[in-house]
Amino acid sequence: MTRTLLGRSGPWLAALAAAALALPFVSSPFAIDIFIRILLFAFVGVAWNLMGGYAKQLSLGHAAYFGLGAYTSTILMIDYDVSPWIGMLAGGGVAMLASLPIGALCFRLRGPYFAIATIATAQVLMLLFLKFRDFAWGAEGTTIPNLGSAPLMMQFEGKAPYYYIALALLALGLVITHRIERSWVGYYLVAVGEDEDAAEAIGVDALKIKRNIYMLSAFLTALAGTFYVQYIYFIDPNTAFSFNVSVEAALVSIVGGIGTLWGPVVGTILLEASSALLQSWLGGGHGGVQLTVYSLILIAVILYRPTGLIGLFADAYARIVRTGPGAAKEVPLDG
Amino acid sequence: MLATLAQAVINGLLIGGIYALVSIGVTLIFGVVKIVNFAQGEFVMIGMYISFFLATYFGVDPLLSLLVSMPVLFCVGALLQHFLIRRVLALGDMPQIFLTFALSLLLLNLALLLFTANYRTVQTAYSETAIFLGPLNVPVAKLIAFVVAMALSALLWVFLHATDLGKAMRAAAQNRDVAMLMGINPDRVFAVAVGVALALAGAAGSLLMPFYPAYPMVGQVFVLMAFVAVVLGTLGNVTGALIASLMMGVAESLGIQFVGADSGLIVVFAMLLLTLALRPNGLFGGWTR
Repeated sequence: MTRTLLGRSGPWLAALAAAALALPFVSSPFAIDIFIRILLFAFVGVAWNLMGGYAKQLSLGHAAYFGLGAYTSTILMIDYDVSPWIGMLAGGGVAMLASLPIGALCFRLRGPYFAIATIATAQVLMLLFLKFRDFAWGAEGTTIPNLGSAPLMMQFEGKAPYYYIALALLALGLVITHRIERSWVGYYLVAVGEDEDAAEAIGVDALKIKRNIYMLSAFLTALAGTFYVQYIYFIDPNTAFSFNVSVEAALVSIVGGIGTLWGPVVGTILLEASSALLQSWLGGGHGGVQLTVYSLILIAVILYRPTGLIGLFADAYARIVRTGPGAAKEVPLDG
Repeated sequence: MLATLAQAVINGLLIGGIYALVSIGVTLIFGVVKIVNFAQGEFVMIGMYISFFLATYFGVDPLLSLLVSMPVLFCVGALLQHFLIRRVLALGDMPQIFLTFALSLLLLNLALLLFTANYRTVQTAYSETAIFLGPLNVPVAKLIAFVVAMALSALLWVFLHATDLGKAMRAAAQNRDVAMLMGINPDRVFAVAVGVALALAGAAGSLLMPFYPAYPMVGQVFVLMAFVAVVLGTLGNVTGALIASLMMGVAESLGIQFVGADSGLIVVFAMLLLTLALRPNGLFGGWTR
């Protein structure tokens, strides 16, 4: 469905891209901050969705890779003066490597126990970074030195450059997902996600394909981690390995539409917008409101629309296309 | 040294009794309904708040409030099964996992909204007292909690083995389809199973209250422990979960004693990951319940 959406919707996509590129010129710094969050978490959702959506490996531990990306680039920058641009890729590499043993353990389990095992791995990493203080600043964390305007060190004046980096990351994630969706890899992933044993029986190496998509998903998530700490100029284990990152990655995909190209984007816009509205409506100091609303939305989606909200848009789009002038007639298969 | 070791083992066993109540609930739901209840820890939290408010506003002893928290949570469990879990049973992994996960998020954050993040404690006459056995000391509140937890576990064992409903539950756990063919009503059995599991979580909460602070996130500690214990003890195996919980309590306590105060959880997770690597079917893989 999304494939046809993208195929027939070149003009729509161009308009969307133009709007996304123009957005910083017409918004306040406060609004840009929200847009950056949306782009970043949509990107993390897209990374999660590659594995959680297509291969149905429901991870609740993607904070592990977010944190590894964040810490790798920060350690390289502060201790070795390496640019975070390089640190970002290094973080991605570290995350890929880490995903191998983590995957080897967790892939022994299926369904809910896979999810629990991934929670455990992310928690272990957080606890390790809390404990090893001479290596990574322990629980206090550290601020990232502010170098003023230093594009080579991923530091900028104003928020617009960060916005474009986050936009580029999201575009990268979407392009990769789109390519995978259309290749044999995508079909293999869906086959594994639908029924692993059946996929194995027809010759899909399920373990290998899960391992590879996990590596890719970890790599992309780590890029987001680096970007995030560069953006907020601060790192500590509770921020970098926050359970909320794992939760949000899964939530935005499920609410938007699990296993669809645009699902995580739709989900993030909805959840972040609702959270921003609530914040402005209630003001600060109401801990718990945001996640209360998220969980209510999630329960409603699971009970009434388990395929995600993107289906609503796709249905509406299909109705327009079908009833519009020049719409293709549906031909029955046996006709 | 030996006394320190013995003391650590005692401390671990005592808290392990509480872990057992939580993990028996998780494994019971998993065995019968085939759902992992991510919200089990939040029901411990609710049990704690029930006891806290009864103690604070009506002067009810937390142990006595067991008589309130258990029936209340039993009803919550039966309703939860009937109105929410039942609707996702025919669906795949995603709705099954994320329904109870969302419920966990919801309850935790509602508690945060309603009760704030403050720690709430209840002081009882026995909160600070301890029995001394030579160099060892056994806190009375923890001892009572342990004894009641073991008694409830034994009661559950009797229920599962000596009553028709309990036998029906075990039959449903072993083979759901055949059990249904034998005329077992799944809705009723499932509702009772979830009800009993939540009642156990509520009991854990009430038992904890004399020596453990209540706060919205408190359930997370216990549910993580329970998940590890349930994997270690083989999914769906009640006795396995009980033994594994006691082991985990001891392992955590030894970790705190000999590695460092903040390493209890690391030891527990290390146990989980080791189990997954070496015995993915749990320590009691071959046993039946």
